[in-house]
Amino acid sequence: MSGQGKSIWDKLENIPREVLYGILLVVFVIPMIYPLGLPVPISANVRKWYQTIEDLPPGSVVMIDFGYSGGGEPELGPMAVAVYRHLFTKGDIKVICMSTSIEGTQLWDKAMAEIRPEQRFGAQYGVDYIHIGYIAGTEVAMAAIGKDLRATTSTDYKGNSLDQYPIMDGIVDAHSFDLLICYTTGGDQSEGWVRQWYTVYGSPYMCSVLAMMVPTMLPYQNAGQIISVTSGAQAGEMEGLVGFPARGIKSADVITLTHLLCLVYVAIGNIAYLGKRFSGGGK
Amino acid sequence: MELSLVIQIWMAALFTMFIYSIAFRDNMLFKFAEYTFVGAAAGHSMVYGVDNIRKVGWNNLIGGNYFYILAFLLGILLYSRYHPQYFWVSRYPLSIMMGLGIGLSMRAVVTAEFIVQIKSTAAIQLIGVTDPVKMVSNIIFIILVVSTVYFFIFTFPKAHEGSLGVIPKIARYGMMAAFAYSFANTVLSRYNMIFGRLDFLYSEWIPLPGAIIALPLVLILLIYVMLPPEKRPWPKKE
Amino acid sequence: MSVTVKKTIPVVIVAVVAFIVMMDYFLLTPPVDVAGKSWTSTTVTNLQNWGVILTAFALGFGAVNLFYFHSKHISRRTPGQWMYSLWLLIVIVIFTGIGVFTGPTSDQYSWLYNASYFALSATVYSSLGFYMTSGLYRALRFKNVESGIFLVVGFIVLARNAPAFAVYFPVLRVWGSFISDVLTTSAQRGIMIGGALGAISLGIRTMTGRETGFLGKLTEEERGGGIE
Repeated sequence: MSGQGKSIWDKLENIPREVLYGILLVVFVIPMIYPLGLPVPISANVRKWYQTIEDLPPGSVVMIDFGYSGGGEPELGPMAVAVYRHLFTKGDIKVICMSTSIEGTQLWDKAMAEIRPEQRFGAQYGVDYIHIGYIAGTEVAMAAIGKDLRATTSTDYKGNSLDQYPIMDGIVDAHSFDLLICYTTGGDQSEGWVRQWYTVYGSPYMCSVLAMMVPTMLPYQNAGQIISVTSGAQAGEMEGLVGFPARGIKSADVITLTHLLCLVYVAIGNIAYLGKRFSGGGK
Repeated sequence: MELSLVIQIWMAALFTMFIYSIAFRDNMLFKFAEYTFVGAAAGHSMVYGVDNIRKVGWNNLIGGNYFYILAFLLGILLYSRYHPQYFWVSRYPLSIMMGLGIGLSMRAVVTAEFIVQIKSTAAIQLIGVTDPVKMVSNIIFIILVVSTVYFFIFTFPKAHEGSLGVIPKIARYGMMAAFAYSFANTVLSRYNMIFGRLDFLYSEWIPLPGAIIALPLVLILLIYVMLPPEKRPWPKKE
Repeated sequence: MSVTVKKTIPVVIVAVVAFIVMMDYFLLTPPVDVAGKSWTSTTVTNLQNWGVILTAFALGFGAVNLFYFHSKHISRRTPGQWMYSLWLLIVIVIFTGIGVFTGPTSDQYSWLYNASYFALSATVYSSLGFYMTSGLYRALRFKNVESGIFLVVGFIVLARNAPAFAVYFPVLRVWGSFISDVLTTSAQRGIMIGGALGAISLGIRTMTGRETGFLGKLTEEERGGGIE
């Protein structure tokens, strides 16, 4: 065997990874430099999410958990920004944020720098929105905040007393909130809120997770425990509905072309495998 | 643009390229970035650990809940696990955390992940469904739920043999489809993340002065460190 | 006696704490105060806050373990390793020092976070995308029925996840919905129910002392008993 050259099927079946990755990088870069403007459909889950926020009556209070890490920011950040813009555009919705992720407060700052609530929407920190900080313990933190928020933390994320902020008037526990939203890269968080807030207090709950986590959250949505499960990859769709195209929509062309490349790779791999098998080269 | 912001973007860009080089070969620049990441993660955890102790513990303590001093003592006792003789003392604070976790999860798991899921499956309509596609989908749904539960509960060999063996086989096929869906979604997730980093390099780093010249130089440097020492063109070994 | 103090009492604490938490959720146990809260409610509120504090203390374990492990490399001057270990410990000290003394929300700490940790975290997560590409090229092959199902479903969902494809080929949305709403949801539900039963049984086993993994290493004497 050592004397025989490799057949075309062997070569196709063993394309070096440097070639695969190199072509992938080229396909990533080209639509970034020359956008194609390919269409983006809006899915039912994103519409349901959008409509849930649209249906919030004036004066509603929303709890948002910025529970994602830096690793998930490229995917979930644009979704978080789009939803915040929607909430601020709607007006008269109080948004109280906390983090069950250790990087949550930094990422919230990043999102606020992108949204610019005061400049663009006239929203005021402590009146229309606030961040009460990172609380350690994931489900323990969720249960603690849901049972008695003021007993768990008396300061915002910068260490200032919550008593000075009008937005916190009357906020006691989970019953004080009309909607719970969670952005997370961890199953502990997305499922934890179902166990600690929806099951215990009946809080309406929506979550946006990494696309790879959506399958594990589908049973909750199907059972009615979560109103809408979206992935951060659908941020472009949300931006389209909200009317603020940004980072999310930019990725659409890239995702289409890279997925086309994936289909080509899968096809080549299978053609090579089946060709080798039927030409008697292997099993 | 402020100098501090320029330096920040440069550092972030260099770290990004160092980490991506692992896709091709392990090298010293990737290792440098990797160890920076591990150190930063540990340091960041320490920072927020101290912040939470102050926020939840200290504020409650000076607010009049003096028995919270016990929580501080128990927290310090957690570190007795490193003592060769008194490591068992750390079991006390650990058992409080464990009891809390078990209590919080068990009170809700029975409802959220058992009763509600079974109710939802039992509520699936089979009689009176006029759409044939919907009818077939509902039947497949119920069969897959029941067979998957069977697969995980009845693990002894006889339950997977003979005529009963068709049930776990159906479960496996259903789970394969679910895992394929997860796999494809994972590809989508990771590609979105790659796009995020490349978009950062393209829209925030490249426009900076000198970046467009630095890019090929950094790539050449990365190729150089990825080569085995004996194949590097410089320094020449005698 | 020593087994009682070292093993039995911690297990009893687990059971008592878990029981109080569950009791608070299911029952209204007297005495009840004027606000309608029972003693279990106040106890559980404090226990939860203690849980947050203990978790905060536990966040330091990572740094302590890294110091313990990497200081050995530095002291032994392990070739090809000790410089990286030294750099790692320096980074821990820099982050901790700036974060604790200026505050985690200060401009200085935010600068440090954005310049290093955020970029590294985002890139490390995303770099797995390259391995996924290699994986789908090499692993998505039609070898038997199960891999065939994996291939066909994976191919359809990959196509469906490309936004433009879903617009130009609407049938992909129908197939994608069937795969997600029927096949995936049902299988995941079955896994979830099985997992829930496992979690419940693990909880009961831990509360009754039959599962002692959380206690860490057990001495010979401790391995002998559980709660009778």
